[in-house]
Amino acid sequence: MNTTTLFGNSSAVIPPRPAEDSLTAFFWQGARDGKLLIHRCRQCQSYIHWPRPVCRFCLATDLSPAEVSGRGRLHTYTSATQAFHPYFLERVPYIIATVELEEQPGLMMVSNLVGVEPMAVQPNMLVEVLYREVAPGLTLPLFEPATTRRGGDR
Amino acid sequence: MNRVAIAGVGYSTVGRNTGLTAAELATQAAKAAMEDSGLTPEDIDGLCSYCTSGSRATENAMSLGWMLGLMPASWVATTGLESAAFMHPALEAMAAVQAGLCDTCLVLRVIQQQPSTPVVLATAASSPPVAGDAQFLAPFGAGSPTQWAALRTQLYMDAYGATEEQFGAQVITQRGHAVLNEDALFRTPLTLDEYLASRYISKPLRLLDCDYPCDSGSAIIVTTRERAADCRKPPVYVEAAAFSAIQDLNFEILTDTGPSSPKLCSDRLWARTDLGPSDVDCAQLYDGFTIITMEWLEALGFCGPGEAGPFVEAGHTALGRSLPVNTDGGACNVGRRHGANFCIEATRQLRGESGERQVPGAEVSIFTNAFGPFAGAVLLTK
Repeated sequence: MNTTTLFGNSSAVIPPRPAEDSLTAFFWQGARDGKLLIHRCRQCQSYIHWPRPVCRFCLATDLSPAEVSGRGRLHTYTSATQAFHPYFLERVPYIIATVELEEQPGLMMVSNLVGVEPMAVQPNMLVEVLYREVAPGLTLPLFEPATTRRGGDR
Repeated sequence: MNRVAIAGVGYSTVGRNTGLTAAELATQAAKAAMEDSGLTPEDIDGLCSYCTSGSRATENAMSLGWMLGLMPASWVATTGLESAAFMHPALEAMAAVQAGLCDTCLVLRVIQQQPSTPVVLATAASSPPVAGDAQFLAPFGAGSPTQWAALRTQLYMDAYGATEEQFGAQVITQRGHAVLNEDALFRTPLTLDEYLASRYISKPLRLLDCDYPCDSGSAIIVTTRERAADCRKPPVYVEAAAFSAIQDLNFEILTDTGPSSPKLCSDRLWARTDLGPSDVDCAQLYDGFTIITMEWLEALGFCGPGEAGPFVEAGHTALGRSLPVNTDGGACNVGRRHGANFCIEATRQLRGESGERQVPGAEVSIFTNAFGPFAGAVLLTK
């Protein structure tokens, strides 16, 4: 398939954008501010990601964004070699990662792992967040291998 | 389920770009199952369907039932939007017959071939911002089922040291079964080199680990054991069934803090029968992606945790060996029928209708669907 014909220069194609709503806008605004914010129950202190209006642990409806450390463990990953959106046509292969944040067992988030070659990825490696503006107004929280300098010694 | 039997099974024309509408696929499959059983619309008082068409006229079970002359009905259930594949309407029907809500229930799974990659890309390029949970996937280039399957495959490989060659062994074994199935779309033997040469969709998931998109209509007829005894074909009995749901429908962020859904489902299934894994003559374990079959082998106790790789590599899942698995060739070879093929293949094996791929003297079979957030299994006997 000639992608240039179909889509022009795909580096100019804009990435998929989130439709921020009243439940999710804090997460994306946090990323723009260089913070990783996760919905947290004010009653039992559990984190809930992806955001929900209720805490599944105690059924409280009193949740609010809380900043987390941005450190975690690489739970699983894949090197995506086929693009399903034109923005990624010239970006394959890229690594999709499920990261378990250090604040709570099973607190998973999906992101990309950067700063490491696919062959060098180690299961369970410690990772930490970084922020990358990929389009005007869209900053993604990504992850890279943790460095001792930056305190990834959990 | 001491009241329930399968009395009829059937397919529509199945293939790539058949040109058939969802209504046509549903009609062909329903008529094939009726013909198989000797039952007529007047005999059928229930319908459970999962039809992917984009049209209410076929996606709603009542509409389908009206179209197919099944009304008035005692029971209808529409399953859809990401139900547990064929398992959901099948279990709805079995539960309804067991409970006495209806006596004879048609089950339909109708699939229209998904769009090709260029169409997917072109559609994505002009799509609006991504709403709901998908907004936490799409900006990262995630969200394709192939990608969550790859995430689960990698997790399994890291946990147990499973190899790509072991996944390939199961794919090759199933192709060997498809060679013996005149209904399969792929019937040329496959080598490990060919498997390893197939492209990655999302490493470590290869093209040949994926089911094959196509148009298909599949139908079964579930009825009472008494009624089934009078039908055209030998009855196949539902010995036990189980289902497990552990999380919302997001494979990418499974917490993995407890037993898997296939494990919970399997434990429930075996608690509901005096039979056990060693009684199963052939197993039909969902294979939308190869990893799913591997997880079911372990969950059901056919091998121990982490042993599925060596188990399939040693050939145990091939016809003629200790546990023939996916004896019709599976969805990578017969095309995407979303697990309906495994119910139908299990039924045909127990009737002794599977021709060259028949497991001699098969008396017990099992079919399963899904994994990850949810899982279902049904044990069948002759």
